[in-house]
Amino acid sequence: MASLKIAATDRSPAVLFDFDNHHLTISGESYPEDVSTFYHPIFEALDAYLAGLGDGSCRFDFELIYFNSSSAKAIMMLMEKLDEAAKNGASIEVYWYYDEEDDTMQELGEEFGEDLEHAAFHLEKMAV
Amino acid sequence: MTQAAVLARDLFDFRAVLLQKGIIFAYSGYVTEPVLNGVGEALKRKLAIQDADTKTVRSVFAIFVEQMQNMIRYSAEKVPPEADIDAPLELRYGVLTIGQEEGDYVVHAGNLVHREDIERLRRRLSAISAMDKEQLKVAYKEQLKAEPDEHSKGAGIGFIEIARRASKPIEFDFMEVDGDYAFFALKACV
Repeated sequence: MASLKIAATDRSPAVLFDFDNHHLTISGESYPEDVSTFYHPIFEALDAYLAGLGDGSCRFDFELIYFNSSSAKAIMMLMEKLDEAAKNGASIEVYWYYDEEDDTMQELGEEFGEDLEHAAFHLEKMAV
Repeated sequence: MTQAAVLARDLFDFRAVLLQKGIIFAYSGYVTEPVLNGVGEALKRKLAIQDADTKTVRSVFAIFVEQMQNMIRYSAEKVPPEADIDAPLELRYGVLTIGQEEGDYVVHAGNLVHREDIERLRRRLSAISAMDKEQLKVAYKEQLKAEPDEHSKGAGIGFIEIARRASKPIEFDFMEVDGDYAFFALKACV
């Protein structure tokens, strides 16, 4: 499956879904003007990939510096999709990297991570 | 005085009023997403130059974003006045200032609201401003999982995000303007 690559902008994160290597990353800041328009193709690509993953394994890295409240819903939906795939037999590792100078992002990671029932969750400091 | 000198005096006095209140940025006018970009960029740079710590910079910025988006989406003062709510060319009017007060950064935002919305906003904001950090966390998650309510065009958690990022309880006020509208003001400190 072709990779999904979206370059970062001032207001939207970089997306690199390397499906062949089962390594998916979203990084940067997320406060796009229109959250639905930005995340729609990301959800579509992730849904298609996860539907074919079966009992395979996948790693998803969240490396977010900041996201606004409208993006939070989209991030929760990404987590839900990953957890659902894990429930269906895939081996999913979710990594949430936070800047240690901003404990808000650490707290948000804890809050999102505690909802994962089937995927493995790792909370890590970003490399300086 | 020449007319030019009066011109300078008037604008200088206006600037002095803002500075005296500790205001670093002031925006009053129709608010658009590109305005948010531009003012946001200058705000980030100013905070970085001022050596504010990373968490403070991000918190002030996060509050600024939520306040601006609230005005862009919900201000009742708009052109064209009777357009349907999804009209792409619609512009909404708001006032936003960022300043410093007794060592805190303060973000004020104000816009007109319909008088019939006052009670709903007051209830919601009273509840949020009375919550401690743990309660705000719970409310944030609950709101995230709930469907957006009928008045919401976003995820409906903007006020909770503002309160979470603020270092003190948020403050708000309403002032009647006429039979249809009231002015709504919201203050958050970091």
